[in-house]
Amino acid sequence: MTSYLARRAGQMVLTLFLIVTLTFFLVQAQPGDYATFYSLNPDIPAEAREQIKASFGLDKPLWQQYLVHMKNTFTGNFGVSFGHYPRPVMEVLAERLPRTVVLFLSATAVSFYVGFFLGKAIAWRRGGVLEYAATISGATLFTAFTPAFALMMIWIFAFKLGWLPVGKFLDPLIWRGAEVSANHVFSYMLATAAVFIAFAFLTLLAARKLGRLGTGRMPFLVIAGGAAVIPIVWAFTGVGYLALDILRHMILPIATLTLISFAGTMLLTRNSMLETMREDYVMAARAKGLPEKVVRDRHAARNALLPVITSLVYSLIFAIDGSVIIEGVFSWPGTGMTLLEAVRSEDLPLVMGSMVFIGLFSLLAHVIVDVLYVYLDPRIRYQ
Amino acid sequence: MRPAGWLAVCILTLCLFALLGCTPEVVREEVVREVEVVVTATPGPGGSAQTGQTSAPVGQAPDPTPGQQAASTTQPAAATPAPPTTTDATENVYQLGISADLTTTNYWAYLGPDGTIWNLYVLGGGKPVLYTYSAQRFDWVPSLAADFPTALAEETVGGQTFWTTEVPLKQGVKWSDGNDVTAEDFAFTAHTAAELELSGNWPSIVDPEFFDHAEALDPYRLKIFFKQKPGLARWQFGQAFMPILSKAYWEPVVAEAKQAGEIIEQQKALYAHVPENEPTAGGFGFSKWERGAFAEKERNPDYYFADSTVTQYASGAYAESKPGAYEFAAYGAPGGDKTLEYTTGPYADSAIYSIYGSQDATVLALKKGDIDFMLNPLGLSRGLQEQLEGEDGLTVIENPSTGVRYLGFNFRREPMDNKAFRQAVATLIDKEFLTSTVLQGVAIPMYTMVPEGNVAWYNADVPLIGQGLSRGERIAQAVQMLKDAGFTWETEPRISEDGRFVEQPGEGLKMPNGEPVPEMDILAPSPGYDPLRSTFAIWIERWLNEVGIPVRADLTGFNLIVEKVFDQQDFDMWILGWRLTLYPDYLEAFFHSRHAGLEGHNAGGYNNPEFDRLADQLLAETDVETARQQVFEMQAFLADDLPYVVLFDTPLVEAYRSDRITYPYTDSLGGLQNASGLTTLVQFK
Repeated sequence: MTSYLARRAGQMVLTLFLIVTLTFFLVQAQPGDYATFYSLNPDIPAEAREQIKASFGLDKPLWQQYLVHMKNTFTGNFGVSFGHYPRPVMEVLAERLPRTVVLFLSATAVSFYVGFFLGKAIAWRRGGVLEYAATISGATLFTAFTPAFALMMIWIFAFKLGWLPVGKFLDPLIWRGAEVSANHVFSYMLATAAVFIAFAFLTLLAARKLGRLGTGRMPFLVIAGGAAVIPIVWAFTGVGYLALDILRHMILPIATLTLISFAGTMLLTRNSMLETMREDYVMAARAKGLPEKVVRDRHAARNALLPVITSLVYSLIFAIDGSVIIEGVFSWPGTGMTLLEAVRSEDLPLVMGSMVFIGLFSLLAHVIVDVLYVYLDPRIRYQ
Repeated sequence: MRPAGWLAVCILTLCLFALLGCTPEVVREEVVREVEVVVTATPGPGGSAQTGQTSAPVGQAPDPTPGQQAASTTQPAAATPAPPTTTDATENVYQLGISADLTTTNYWAYLGPDGTIWNLYVLGGGKPVLYTYSAQRFDWVPSLAADFPTALAEETVGGQTFWTTEVPLKQGVKWSDGNDVTAEDFAFTAHTAAELELSGNWPSIVDPEFFDHAEALDPYRLKIFFKQKPGLARWQFGQAFMPILSKAYWEPVVAEAKQAGEIIEQQKALYAHVPENEPTAGGFGFSKWERGAFAEKERNPDYYFADSTVTQYASGAYAESKPGAYEFAAYGAPGGDKTLEYTTGPYADSAIYSIYGSQDATVLALKKGDIDFMLNPLGLSRGLQEQLEGEDGLTVIENPSTGVRYLGFNFRREPMDNKAFRQAVATLIDKEFLTSTVLQGVAIPMYTMVPEGNVAWYNADVPLIGQGLSRGERIAQAVQMLKDAGFTWETEPRISEDGRFVEQPGEGLKMPNGEPVPEMDILAPSPGYDPLRSTFAIWIERWLNEVGIPVRADLTGFNLIVEKVFDQQDFDMWILGWRLTLYPDYLEAFFHSRHAGLEGHNAGGYNNPEFDRLADQLLAETDVETARQQVFEMQAFLADDLPYVVLFDTPLVEAYRSDRITYPYTDSLGGLQNASGLTTLVQFK
């Protein structure tokens, strides 16, 4: 396994190099450059425009610009954003990343849960009303035109019913008196999620080590107890009301993303379950007289989980990429919108920085999935 | 290690990444709690810009507020604030929607490389200026200055000859740190811009070819030294609008920046400074910027110009007064019918600029009542206008904009260099038909490079080529023009008897030298980018083809057009647009032959010595009346010589919550967004 991972790390570096190179030349292939923005203002003298080009490094030959960007990329210094001059790219990305991660991780988790739960149910009771209703509605929503659907959701729930806010991630009237920034709160939320996930994972790991002592509901009760502590801790931070405001603003985008995407997980789970249910060990479990719920959840669903988990891990990692459409419609300024704006304005350092992040995380996702396969299916071994 | 172990390592590493990723941000994102008092909104840096930019350092139009005073204090953050209630918070909060985030709060950077329209909306007009434009009429009136400047005089100092002027300043105007706003502040700002060779809009404000230095004769009397005689564009409508920054606050920052090495590094160091507790003067103070979400400015209760009254008269007179403080009148004796009168606020406790990701989302927020007004350089589209017009509590307003869309010719290629050809093209384009019938009134036909709304500089008496002609008359006239210039056809176009359509399109058009007219392209934005300009391009192609001019509309991306036209000059004709400043010195930039080089703004290569002479005269002119006559003459000249066929402009449509707020006026060139939403004048019902 160790030598396999070392080999994969080498492949990752090579792939990353190709991604960065391709991105650089794709952006350069667009007509004009960032300084075009200034060349169209007749009140800016030619000398001033040249000076701006020089400060952005756009006066250098293409190959020199390429070398500078490659050096920056592999030394972790992505340079200074043109559009946010002179803020470092890392600072811009660090500002946007938590917002996207919080929204899209949550949406992915909810969407996965809904999809998995429904997929399991409709596979077990084939031909029922639930299967037709879930499949038809899921497929319909899956193919919906996202911007129109998202706007429709806002129109219904925010405008007509007035239950939820019209986009954005916070209410200025609540935040204008706040003494912390939104990124503070997002960071706390992410940290909370990270600690909780680690806690839950370690709890499950410990339960496994304990053998019989760790079976039954005990680990889940411990995890639930940990979850119950979270709001209590937040209540003492003094910024709990701000986190609640963010959560309120997350409802509509999460609901929209879930409705649009749950069908993918649902149909994948359903198909995987149908395959698994034909296996001998499921028949054996039934023959032993085990309750239907146990057969479904412990024997069939667990084995059907493998492709679904793979899909989930990819989704989670690609969550950092965000969604330009969802972020745009819901006024959620995350990495997706940042990348789009950077590409449009040819803010090369920011494009490169974003792409490196996305590339790195997606490559990492592949490695995690490989490791996960071994963990979930003991029959798999890498040489 | 076992798979489970590897998995644990991966998950814990991810968790660690998440935690590490959060930590430095917490340190960096300290919320700035300062009160920056916004001074009279100023015209800002003059500028024209090619339309189509997502952001542009365009000139801000007149802010009606007359002057400035500062009295702000730093507000220390409370330890643990109680959650504010929405009811309390909404009290007199003027809520505006914008479509992109700020990129800086540093004024040097905002007028430098961060000159976006969104920065302009929030930061623009936030500093004292010597002179400004009046509301609606755009009279040139004093702001920080107590009166008009002395006439430019030639003066020799130390063997060097300068052109100098003196400006008296108002007394009692203070920065928020308690210091007076003085002539020293002006000198410091101008010298910093010149010495650090600041980029972006700065060179158009402090032009190094003209500005030499400034001296404070005393704290309230300023003397400016120019290397050469500055015209209106360089002095009265240029440097006189320069935002003045506090010397006390910025001097150490600038001194530190100057230690950074190369000039570009010095600039970078200055631009990178994040102002905290920067003393300012004005109606509002910049109080908070929540990146990606909103920016807030809080009311300055000690605003010097609060309660000052501005009155404009039908006679052209302008009067401004504040009881017990000052009185000012210009452009005639005040009296007779009043065209505008208002008392300066601010009446809002706070102005919040909320950031929305799309215009649709902003409009929904406006309809729902989350915001009172939306700032957008393009205004509302026709669809959204119709959607909002029936809404209770909303008022839709329409104003002329400060832009122009045009068809340009490449004078380096035949037959575009032929005046008769250009006039024939202009004759064939039925702007009225397109704007009223095809485009259903969403555009306004234009014939000159100065929009009609810019009353002071607009010349209505220019040649209106083709106006009022029927289709048949147009074709007949264009054919005659071409014939008179020596063009010939293998098959001449023939019009139907009723003159309504072309029975036989022209074929084989030849130039006066006997060569066939080459195939030509009209570069124009695609329908997805701008349906109006692409519609014009398609119809122009059709009309020109009817008389045998072999032209093809090439609808393509904006950036590609810009590259081909301005960077490569590889084109025949093109359709684009400009956003224009009030003072029309852009006529020189667009059409003087000195700007015909690569990346110059005279991309068509227009070269007419007579026009060059007029343009040079305008640049050197120091008298407004004479300049106006020159601009009129230039407009008439261009409307006849046609380096551009001016096509149309679109009115600027805006909407506001009239059930909550009211403005002293809504008729304004460029709309209320051009005055940043009248933050110091808006009142609440």
